[in-house]
Amino acid sequence: MTTVKRWAALVAALLATGALIATAPADDERADSVVARALDGRQLRIMAPAAPGGGWDQTSREMQAALRDLVGRSEVYNVGGAGGTIGLSQFVRLDGDPSQLMTTGLIMIGAIETNNSPHSLAETVPLARLTTDYQVVVAAANSPLKDMEAAAQALRGNLSAVSISGGSAGGVEQILAGLMAKAVGADPSKVSYVAHSGGGEALTTLLSGRSTLGISGVSEVMPQIRAGQVRALAVSSPERLPALPDVPTLREAGLDVELQNWRGVVAPKGITPDQERALEQLLLDMTRTTEWQEALADRGWGDATLAGPEFEEFVRTEQTRVAQILKEIGLGRS
Amino acid sequence: MTTDTNEQATAPPEPETDPACDRRTALSSLIFGGLMLVAGPVMVVDARGLPDDGSAMGPAATPFALGVLLGITGLWLLLRSWRELRAATRGTPLRDYAVLRVTALAAALVAFALLLPVIGYVLGSAALFVGTALLLGGPHGWRLYASGWALAAFTFVIFDRVIGLTLPTGPWGF
Amino acid sequence: MDQIGLLLDGFVGALTPAHLLWALIGVTIGTAVGVLPGIGPALTVALLLPITFRLEASSALILFAGIYYGGMYGGSTTSILLNTPGESASIIAAIEGNKMARAGRAASALATAAIGSFVAGTIGTVGLTFLAPAVAGFATSFGPPEYVALMAVAFTTVSALLGPNLLKGLAGLLVGVTVGLIGIDSQSGQPRLVFGVESLLDGIDVVIVVVALFALGETFARVMTGIGRSTVQPLRGRAVLSRSDLRRSWPAWLRGTALGFPIGSLPAGGAEIPTFLSYTVEKRLSRHRHEFGRGAIEGVAGPEAANNAAAAGVLVPLLTIGLPTSATAAVILTAFQSYGLQPGPALFEESGPLVWTLIASLYVGNVMLLVLNLPLAKVWARLLTIPPYAIYAAVLMFAALGAYAAGGTASDLIVLCVLGLVGLLMREAGIPPAPAVVGLILGPLAEQQLRRALILSEGDPAILVSGPITVVLWAAAVLSLLVPVVLPIVRRRRGTLAGAAAGSGRSGERG
Repeated sequence: MTTVKRWAALVAALLATGALIATAPADDERADSVVARALDGRQLRIMAPAAPGGGWDQTSREMQAALRDLVGRSEVYNVGGAGGTIGLSQFVRLDGDPSQLMTTGLIMIGAIETNNSPHSLAETVPLARLTTDYQVVVAAANSPLKDMEAAAQALRGNLSAVSISGGSAGGVEQILAGLMAKAVGADPSKVSYVAHSGGGEALTTLLSGRSTLGISGVSEVMPQIRAGQVRALAVSSPERLPALPDVPTLREAGLDVELQNWRGVVAPKGITPDQERALEQLLLDMTRTTEWQEALADRGWGDATLAGPEFEEFVRTEQTRVAQILKEIGLGRS
Repeated sequence: MTTDTNEQATAPPEPETDPACDRRTALSSLIFGGLMLVAGPVMVVDARGLPDDGSAMGPAATPFALGVLLGITGLWLLLRSWRELRAATRGTPLRDYAVLRVTALAAALVAFALLLPVIGYVLGSAALFVGTALLLGGPHGWRLYASGWALAAFTFVIFDRVIGLTLPTGPWGF
Repeated sequence: MDQIGLLLDGFVGALTPAHLLWALIGVTIGTAVGVLPGIGPALTVALLLPITFRLEASSALILFAGIYYGGMYGGSTTSILLNTPGESASIIAAIEGNKMARAGRAASALATAAIGSFVAGTIGTVGLTFLAPAVAGFATSFGPPEYVALMAVAFTTVSALLGPNLLKGLAGLLVGVTVGLIGIDSQSGQPRLVFGVESLLDGIDVVIVVVALFALGETFARVMTGIGRSTVQPLRGRAVLSRSDLRRSWPAWLRGTALGFPIGSLPAGGAEIPTFLSYTVEKRLSRHRHEFGRGAIEGVAGPEAANNAAAAGVLVPLLTIGLPTSATAAVILTAFQSYGLQPGPALFEESGPLVWTLIASLYVGNVMLLVLNLPLAKVWARLLTIPPYAIYAAVLMFAALGAYAAGGTASDLIVLCVLGLVGLLMREAGIPPAPAVVGLILGPLAEQQLRRALILSEGDPAILVSGPITVVLWAAAVLSLLVPVVLPIVRRRRGTLAGAAAGSGRSGERG
């Protein structure tokens, strides 16, 4: 018995070392593809700059699944918080490593402005836009505001009496609220915006009857719209959405506003043009896989594939527009 | 009568030392009160730097009020511990080099944080285990090293290899 | 009721050998991650999502449900044995549970936690089965003013946690609220108390603070004073749970469940608040009040039941209205969606059999956890016979792993280390860590809800007492302030009987 005890630690150490070696991941990279050469044979690592469960986390993990047949094993890791700016500041340090990707989107552009982040997306190489999720303006089912015209009238009349619940400060919902206020000729800084840590929480404030309007991603609030718990007043897309054919766009309702919560992928600065092209091609190939198309359908995301210089240009215009409206709301850089 | 007089006591009597008379407790309270007294004004200054967002209760309201409260409570604690300190008995003596040992443990943690990406999780954690155990007065010997290594390696296998949580690795892959 | 028929169909689906195996794997993984501070069910389910793409929907959901319930169980084990809560909802169990463990009653504490979790989990699941629509209606009636009132109730009742020295308890509470304010303010997007440190922008994870104050504080203290002899008493008694333990536990389990399930179903309720409330209720109602703070079994039974009932409550808004109200729920929602299912009002109609299989597997998982944990209580309790230097070295190692996993950067470890030193100072100064954790959780919630309410009303404070729920809650808050003042007066009037009872209680302790 005592002999067993004396040697237990050593036996455990040996067993554990054996397990370490036995479970070491096998190298299954496809040696001769363009992508493999661009990656220098390294495994692809995707940073989701948010906690598990959010939009970036979901996008990254769907990418991971869709990329399996193209590049084999890849890895997703989360760096939580502050609208993705914490993740961004870590990502910009990965200079010139083509095996590192980060999911990004409109929310990060907003957070960079709101948080006075020292870094921006200009310090990364934008590869491709992948998905989009339009916003929908909703009211509680028993609200006196029956349509967007009535809501716009209320906004015009006494802006600060119309409380709008939505996600985090400086996020897509608040940007849209500011744009709507501006479109009716009011001061965006006077919007009574009630920020929440997530879409679900924001919705409960609306359902409890305490806030006048709510703004949420279409895919997020779809079940409640279908069940009749909330009424969809308008969508932020340029044209009506197939999922909500009866709901007018904001533009139809007389508000010249259009906003999409797009998500895309960036690589670190310093990668070679060849590597950049290979990664862009990889992402384009990924968007054509059945896994990816199924994921879009399941999540209710719109396909917004855009790569190359067009995407870089798009990121630049979004930056200017978002910085402008956030400044007018009173959240931007001072 | 509902109280069961024969019921087994659930806890042994705590050692009968009045903490108020212990020198170490009083001194620690004094330091804690002092820290609170410093933190209060710092919070107030930080709150003053926040912009007003135009709502009834802006982002500065709570930190401002809390800073004031923190300062007052800190001062109160400081004064009371000062009085206690003068009336205090010697209290339990500290172990030799106590402060040095605490500093060493803190340094070990910081070193672990900085070395983690270089030497990997398993080696780093095993070293942290052994270091802490030695600082706590554990016996030297190969068994300590073996158990540290075993624990770190098993943790790595379960969380990195099985569950898929990415832990930092050294050049040798774990 | 046709729910029973549907549930039976669900059991037929859940009781296949393959599903039982998935449930077993789920609860085992869940217990493992629950034990480790910083790694919770949310992160685990997210990490396992890609693996489960190859599984059919019902197997995957059963696995996740097992992880979720298992995580709630596992957290209390380390709380009780090592004074290191595995997740924030097990903090209260550490207060009395660890005292019990030190007095040689670890097995009883673990058993009352395990059975309490089982009872609460089962009743919670029954509630989920039959009351879900009603509870969801109650949950959505809570807006910011209602939450402010609920926070007021929570704050007025936490006095039970402040400890014997009111000034020091208050100091702990204030420090907790202060730490809770660190990070980006969610209403204005402004960083507060960050001082330019980037890793503080997102605030400090509650679990990191808890691990630092409890586990690291204790490790530092032991390094400083020397361990000497183990402070843990050997195991006493043969029965895991004696008759008197059982008699004292079961009302606490039921009361904890009654608090946990409805508050857990609130979108911003969480699992922590009902544990605070349950502890206070047990302390107030107990005939063994002198034991509180020294290892009262009710103080473990009630909060543990509350914590697990709340875990079931969280699933109510998720399944009935599609609202994810906790990180884990959000990740489970993701899992639902990856199978093309949309939780919400139509879920039961569109994919009824699957949902009923999931609910049935929650019952199965609960039974499985009890069967696993009850016989193991004595085995776990033996862990305490490992030399303290090894225990604390391992605790430190796991705390470091948890801190790293939560944030993924070295700076989180440095935050952990600094807070550990604060924990040491608090311990030396006799400032209890529990109020700090209470402040950390309740403070920011109360502030955000209050500010939301005031934005909604354009600054009119009358909104705080608008609506019947707020009025009831404020009345409860006032009552809980008055009762401790009034009750002793009433007791004194009752005369000698009460005095005799208290006296005999004290003599029993000596005997």
